[in-house]
Amino acid sequence: MAAPAKSSPRDAQVMAAVLKDMGVLDYEPRLINQMLEFTYRYITDILDDAKVYSTHANKKNLDTDDVKLAIQCKMDHSFTTPPPRDLLMEIARHKNSQQLPLIKPYSLPRLPPDRYCLSAPNYRLRTLKKSRIQIGLPQFSSGSPRISIAPMQSKGSSSSSHSLTVVSKAQPTVTIISKPAAATIPKPTIRVNTGMTKVLPNTSGQIITTRPIPTSTLSTIGQQGALGGQPVIPGVNPLKRKLEDDDYDK
Amino acid sequence: MADPPSMEDAKVDISEKQTLLAVLQFLKKHNLKETETLLKKEAKVSDEEFKTEDSGPTASEVSHALAAYKSDDDPSIYEDLYTDIKAFIDSCLDVHKVELATILYPVFVHMYLELVYNDHEQLAKNFFGKFSLDQEEYYREDLMKLSTVYKKEHMAGNQLMDNFKSSKFVIRMSRDSYTHLKRHLQEKQLSRLLNIIQEHLFIDVFDGIPRNKQQIDASSGGLLGESDREANKVKVYYGLLKEPDLNIPLEEDEDNTEGEGDKPKKKKPKKDPLLMKKSKNDPNAPSNTRIPLPELKDMDKIEKINAFREAMKRVKVDREHMPSVCFYTLLNSCQGVTCIEVSEDSSLISVGFNDSFIRVWSITPDKLRSLKSPTELEIIDKEADDVLERMMDERSATEIKTLCGHNGPVYSVSFSPDKHNLVSASADGTIRLWSLQTWTNLVCYKGHNYPVWDVKFSPHGHYFVSCGHDRTARLWSTDHYQPLRVFAGHLSDVDSIQFHPNSNYVATGSSDKMVRLWDVQNGNCVRVMSGHKGAVHCLSFSPDGRTLASSGVDQVVILWELASGTMLAQMKGHTDTVYCLCFSRDGGVLSSGGLDNTVRIWDIKKIYEELDSDSDANIPSTLHVNDSPNLLITTYKTKSTPVLLLHFTRRNLLLGSGAFSIT
Repeated sequence: MAAPAKSSPRDAQVMAAVLKDMGVLDYEPRLINQMLEFTYRYITDILDDAKVYSTHANKKNLDTDDVKLAIQCKMDHSFTTPPPRDLLMEIARHKNSQQLPLIKPYSLPRLPPDRYCLSAPNYRLRTLKKSRIQIGLPQFSSGSPRISIAPMQSKGSSSSSHSLTVVSKAQPTVTIISKPAAATIPKPTIRVNTGMTKVLPNTSGQIITTRPIPTSTLSTIGQQGALGGQPVIPGVNPLKRKLEDDDYDK
Repeated sequence: MADPPSMEDAKVDISEKQTLLAVLQFLKKHNLKETETLLKKEAKVSDEEFKTEDSGPTASEVSHALAAYKSDDDPSIYEDLYTDIKAFIDSCLDVHKVELATILYPVFVHMYLELVYNDHEQLAKNFFGKFSLDQEEYYREDLMKLSTVYKKEHMAGNQLMDNFKSSKFVIRMSRDSYTHLKRHLQEKQLSRLLNIIQEHLFIDVFDGIPRNKQQIDASSGGLLGESDREANKVKVYYGLLKEPDLNIPLEEDEDNTEGEGDKPKKKKPKKDPLLMKKSKNDPNAPSNTRIPLPELKDMDKIEKINAFREAMKRVKVDREHMPSVCFYTLLNSCQGVTCIEVSEDSSLISVGFNDSFIRVWSITPDKLRSLKSPTELEIIDKEADDVLERMMDERSATEIKTLCGHNGPVYSVSFSPDKHNLVSASADGTIRLWSLQTWTNLVCYKGHNYPVWDVKFSPHGHYFVSCGHDRTARLWSTDHYQPLRVFAGHLSDVDSIQFHPNSNYVATGSSDKMVRLWDVQNGNCVRVMSGHKGAVHCLSFSPDGRTLASSGVDQVVILWELASGTMLAQMKGHTDTVYCLCFSRDGGVLSSGGLDNTVRIWDIKKIYEELDSDSDANIPSTLHVNDSPNLLITTYKTKSTPVLLLHFTRRNLLLGSGAFSIT
């Protein structure tokens, strides 16, 4: 396309000259505007960042070092380049050393495990609220359940089929938590199961069975103090507003 | 105080001047000022010829390998060195001249980079300006990119630079020329030049007569020179897989009444020699179990029988019988069409758009139906013969279905051979698998984190390959969420990818102008083919698997022989980038189409007829590339539609497709 008219602003003429220098001769006129916008946004971002770094270093004015640092940070974030060749060769060597997996016959459709597919429903039915009664006191015994926390996401359908299992060696006493006892279940949910049984997902919405949690092994979960009273659910602050009781089965 | 050697000031040879300046710099470094001034006075070296050096790499981001460019020599010698080597080459015998001239380009590039690294910006610019126009035409683009690097800071992030500094530039040279060059360099003691050549160039010496200009031009053009002959030594199993024994009942309307299995003994008028070879064991064919392939189901067997029947009715296509073309033009697409693909049996067309949608059309009278709902599916009789039709919901029959899910322009689509699935690749870095029975997105494969330029399903199903901006190609299977193989080796974006008919090999074409052939079983690169002068955008294997055609930005269609990795023919004729290639079903004719709004038909049979039988891949000078203008059979022009898809149907009708463009 033709170069911009002589009456166009100087910036546009400069941009046209830059494009010509780089060998781009054929372009739509709108391209100059796009390039100028990009340039303006990029420069202001860099200079803003540089100002921040400069004030952080208690300098009076902007320095080339500040600008260099700002550019470097920007490059690492937005303008990433593909990995270097030696890293790619290393990854390739690793992957290619494994044999091609055999194909099982009569196993249509051939898809990855469900959690990697997009075939799960991306919605969840709302269930009726059930009141729960606490039976007995929780027993604290030795044993070390390993708890893994998998946040339940209502939107991400790919993870909706996460199920949480915890292997536990202690006795199978079951405690059912009652709703008024502030045992509200926040997000993320932790369901603790016995070693053998797994809570099966049930569409009509559920009772959550929990295991007593020995405090000795849960050092990361804050010492909430009231250990004698009710089972401590990690992440629950009794002072927090009670969240609505949703069932997160599935 | 040492006495400086006396010198004639009038005729100072380059190497002596070099030594002198080196001595002066040494003295300066060690602060021997008096000696220095005395030497300068005696040798009558003026101060402006003597420039100070920046010693030691300063910034930490400049990597170690770049430090190889650090030199203590006087920068102005580069121009002299270059002119000198040019003069030497010109003085050689004609036979050697063209071969030796190939070293000028890499030497020029590395000298320029050394000047830039040592912060001689102005000198570097002068050097570039003076000698860049001497270089070959096909290096023009790379040189333009190089000209943007004129400060040391530019060198750190530039990808082209990385390639130049990390890999060696490959040149093939005959032994005579090579010894000639070596002798000259050693005689004149041009150590700087020798250093450059030894560090950055790899000269692949062969025994034989030197090549002529045409042969050299044919195989050069790659980003880092030509391909190393060693890279093309592995045996490639280019034969087709042994077809399973199928009982193919002949049609009632055929004249012959008897037929048994797939090896009918009677000769039919349109018999394809390909179909006869099933019984023989091809030594060049891979075994059926070399890579795991899905077993044939009943539906696949029926499809194969259909394909065979269609092949019997195939029309002959050659120079005397030119193919008919049925062209599908997309109107009113607002320049949003990025890719078009058709299924193998030519019944479905799928188009990918800039707005991330994929639309599928049926080009047969059958409409597109989707699967019934689960409650309805429970009711139908599963034992019925036509259960596959009953599964489909009649009420949902339409001619076009839209698939949405991607986050960016869709750059490539590919049908699975059983037409149940479609894969699509997009700028958002993901590859999506769609079901063509429920018209929904089944899986999203994330592996490339950068735009994926091309994706192809294997002709046997189950596997698909993709390639993208991250310079790798990956092999996936539909039931693994991570790639099974990663093909890394290209120096720049991989633009196009294609499966071999036996599914054991994958060809990739890249922006570094090389075409590579990869082995699926172990991920190794078995062939590197150089010769294109621009990015390679389309690849196509011949139906017999022996040859590969490729083309792209440089508008030349090149035919490669896979057994040796050599170029068989260069077909020139297109006037703009070529985007699609397709061989006819019997391999006698190749069609190509591109941005110049034309479809051209090339005569492949003729190339085979004119093949030189005593060419030896080990001696590049015996290789003869066929580039006669007679290879072009005909040209079909469209009004104003760049051709994005070409496909020969099973009966050898040529289908084409493109989006009508106003400009």
